[in-house]
Amino acid sequence: MASNDYDLVVVGAGHAGCEAAAAAARMGAAVAVVTLDRRTIAQMPCNPAIGGIGKGHLVAELDALGGLQGWAADRAGIQFKMLNASRGPAVWGPRAQCDKARYTEIMARVLGGLRGLEIIESEVVGLLSDDVGVTGVRLRDGRLLRARTTILTTGTFLGGVLHSGEESRPGGRHGERPSIGLGAELEGLGLELRRFKTGTPPRLRMSSLDVEQLEVQGGDEPPRAFSWRTRKVTNRIECWVTRTPERIQGIIKDNLHRSPLFSGVIEGVGPRYCPSIEDKIVRFPQHREHTVFLEPEGLTTESVYVNGLSTSLPADVQEAVVHAVPGLSRAEFLRYGYAVEYDMVAPGQVGKDLVCRDVPGLALAGQVLGTSGYEEAAALGFLAGVNAVRAGRGEDAFVLGREEAYMGVLVDDLVLREHVEPYRMFTSRAEHRLLLGIDSARERLMARGVRLGLVREEVFHVEHGRWKDRRKVRSALEETRLNPDRATKETLREMAGIELKTPSSWAGLLRRQDVDVDRIAEAIPGLGELSEEDRRIVVGLLRYDGYLARHRREIDRVRRLRYVEISRSFDPSVVPGLSREVVEQLQRHRPATLAEAERLPGMTPAAIAILAGRLARGTEGA
Amino acid sequence: MAKDSSSGWSSALAGGADTVVARSSPAGRAGLAVIRVSGGSTRALAAAVCPGLNMDRGWRAALVELRDADGTPIDQAVALPYPAPRSYTGEDMLELMVHGSPWIVVATIDALIAAGGRQAEPGEFTRRAVANGKLDLVQAEAVNELAAAETAAQARMAQAQVSGSLSREFSGLKHALTDLLAGLEASLDFSHHEIPYDRRGAIAERERCLEQIRALLATATAGRRVREGVRVAIVGPANSGKSTLFNILVGRERAIVSPHAGTTRDLVEAELEIAGVRVVLQDTAGLETSSDPVELEGIRRARGAAAEADAVIVMWPVDRDDEPDVGEREGQPMLRIRSKVDLGPGDDGPSGWMALSCRTGRGMDDLGRALEGVVSAEVVDLGGHVAIAERHRYALEGARAELEEGDFEVPELAAEAVRTALESVRELFGEVATEEILDRVFSSFCIGK
Repeated sequence: MASNDYDLVVVGAGHAGCEAAAAAARMGAAVAVVTLDRRTIAQMPCNPAIGGIGKGHLVAELDALGGLQGWAADRAGIQFKMLNASRGPAVWGPRAQCDKARYTEIMARVLGGLRGLEIIESEVVGLLSDDVGVTGVRLRDGRLLRARTTILTTGTFLGGVLHSGEESRPGGRHGERPSIGLGAELEGLGLELRRFKTGTPPRLRMSSLDVEQLEVQGGDEPPRAFSWRTRKVTNRIECWVTRTPERIQGIIKDNLHRSPLFSGVIEGVGPRYCPSIEDKIVRFPQHREHTVFLEPEGLTTESVYVNGLSTSLPADVQEAVVHAVPGLSRAEFLRYGYAVEYDMVAPGQVGKDLVCRDVPGLALAGQVLGTSGYEEAAALGFLAGVNAVRAGRGEDAFVLGREEAYMGVLVDDLVLREHVEPYRMFTSRAEHRLLLGIDSARERLMARGVRLGLVREEVFHVEHGRWKDRRKVRSALEETRLNPDRATKETLREMAGIELKTPSSWAGLLRRQDVDVDRIAEAIPGLGELSEEDRRIVVGLLRYDGYLARHRREIDRVRRLRYVEISRSFDPSVVPGLSREVVEQLQRHRPATLAEAERLPGMTPAAIAILAGRLARGTEGA
Repeated sequence: MAKDSSSGWSSALAGGADTVVARSSPAGRAGLAVIRVSGGSTRALAAAVCPGLNMDRGWRAALVELRDADGTPIDQAVALPYPAPRSYTGEDMLELMVHGSPWIVVATIDALIAAGGRQAEPGEFTRRAVANGKLDLVQAEAVNELAAAETAAQARMAQAQVSGSLSREFSGLKHALTDLLAGLEASLDFSHHEIPYDRRGAIAERERCLEQIRALLATATAGRRVREGVRVAIVGPANSGKSTLFNILVGRERAIVSPHAGTTRDLVEAELEIAGVRVVLQDTAGLETSSDPVELEGIRRARGAAAEADAVIVMWPVDRDDEPDVGEREGQPMLRIRSKVDLGPGDDGPSGWMALSCRTGRGMDDLGRALEGVVSAEVVDLGGHVAIAERHRYALEGARAELEEGDFEVPELAAEAVRTALESVRELFGEVATEEILDRVFSSFCIGK
């Protein structure tokens, strides 16, 4: 081990690679990042936005732990929006549309400035390994980089094939070569690869859009930043909305045989939540129109992302479809849409530290591990980087529970469940969704960020003050009594349109009624002093009360199960009463605790009861 | 391998990888006895005990010679092989029909165990069927009830449940809740794809699910009546002929259990089968004004029995003027009997009362028909022949409470309520949540920018 050149080699400098390398370097590790091209560091090859519902939750958590993505999105952001703002705080989803070039520039500058981090512009052509596991990488120029841990964050580059109409050619992203040999090496190490697919819509020239015919969409005022490091963000652009006319159905149907998706050329499985326009037409013929969002990709580029028209139809069909859409009749194509097929490593093969169970020294993060999206990639990269450093120091893996964070849900789902498509985060994946709103991300995770050494303690104290203020106001709401005397009734009616009939606390009243919080803010002790967002959090959470209590009880139950460990030598096939399916799942995923076993597909309460009994006996020394 | 623990619950759940053997017909001497084998080494056991049997000729009877471990012949038997997965348990199975001598049965089972089998635990074949997905939990529950059915109605109900009609009701409810949840989740995770929260639609859908749950819960009473019996209490003043009628009915109908000993101050009960339904007939103490504390207690119990009964037979003898007061419950079926008509003036008395003489037998057939009518009516609300059992009632009431109390003004709280209700319903099948909800979202909504 003394001969290691680095603590960590990160292969790829996309969203996963950047977070992995930055976290590790800031924790004091010696890190090498290998990228084909410096100019593609933290590139956003698809949509020009960070965040959204579920994804925004990941960004908020990553930020609380000391990750970079939210901070960079704040700086590169050109339009900020809170999705689900009309709902309760648990499902608010912040989203920042970014200047893509600026995002890349900011990340490249941060990485370049970190002590202990070296960026190497080259191609990894092979892995170094000994009889234990992977020990580093071999570069195209023959250089060897030895490291304790190698993290692969190769995105869609493994065996990548780009499809556009009848044309298919090897490629990792638009204009970039794929990585061919690496996949075979992974298979040589005994890893199972699967084929996934994803796609991207065309890009149009801004000056060719007929904006008179488009509906304008602005950002939120005031815009809200992701990061605790950010003071202020500004909306700088407007986006546009239009709708596809009914006649594109005919255009697409007549040309379906030329779509690689339908002609059988593409074998990989694509994400159902991000269907191509041809998919939407075929599967939902009853929908006469489909919404199209036109999103500028930056302040200094003419490129506009056509959100809603992902396609791999031939260029002439793409043109016919786009030109049929109101406002786009003269649109000039800067790039056609395409689909990409790539190899991914079936994620059941890694542990919760994201290291391959059977290949020590090799960790994976991002799309190569079967996810989709910048945010999922960044979250995994961060965890892989942190864990590489901790493993080097002989410390426990940094693992978040499902009840603690969406990042915990992400890893847990990837490692323990079967996946048929690229994995994207949704709030419905979190059974404790009400506890995991972005409002509580810092409260949940910032202390852990401090312990990792990635968040300054002073920042934690500032945030802590904010939580305390919210709690104080919350108590005041519970304690202040309102009696239905004439004066109070009148004030309430005038101020908020509330009819007070029986004595109540403010909390009781707000739990039952939809009230414009800002109108009553001044009347409630402490509430007026909170920021507008904090007010809405305090009031929004009141309504969740009963459910939150139940979630906490359920979490206690799961935590108890978590203490029941399943040793690696445990052989489920000799346990009477387990169905074949359950035995196979246990052998495949090798859960470390009963709580993990419970999450496996096909697991039944009866099977858990049998396992619990068996494990209890095992510890009695039988 | 760890030695088997004595802890009851884990051994009760166990089943599994090894091959099990059991006698499936009742103990004792009989013409024939059936022995069942199930598990991965069924073929090896068959090769050892019935040499020459071709296990691949499945679902066809074959005549075989059974031999013990030393090769000594035990019996000639009929063997029925069931190759996996087309068997009751989903594993390789073998059924042997041997001559019913207890010795032959024991010798055959010993031979199968010597060849590597193990004595099955009670219910183990059915547990294996569940573990291998051949039966769901709801169906499996009814297998025991079917084997234990004493009346036609019990057998019909259990059979309907085994064949899956209750499972279908539950899975219909499960699908309705999954659809509702998918809509809610879509409005939360994809609100920016112009999928709004359809509050009215969600509330209407919740109401439909609640109606289904309430309808299922309403069968709980009918289910209890079929399983435990329809309770019919005979009440009336002293010397109105209650015990005489009780004895005549017990003698006339098929008694499942003979009357318990006791004076009429207590309740005397007999279990009968009337119109294919189990009936618990109760004779009670006379409703008199009394100061004797023992009699007062008897009267109290009589009134209690009448109040709890599914149907009441009221006796009003012709030699009494005042109509007996039994404290009728609303909707409770009443058979009003003008008894001892042989002592009376000969007319039929007040309208709505059936004339009966236990002595001459007059009116007995009318009473019998009326009783059959009342008993059948009490179980007739078994729509589709399903009725839920206690475990089902518990889960369904949980689901109902969740849905009724859910805050549907706020979509994430509505989702919370529906998710919990869905979990309750899934518990009926012994399932835990999967990706099903997202699957439903993607197949029902056009999502994706």
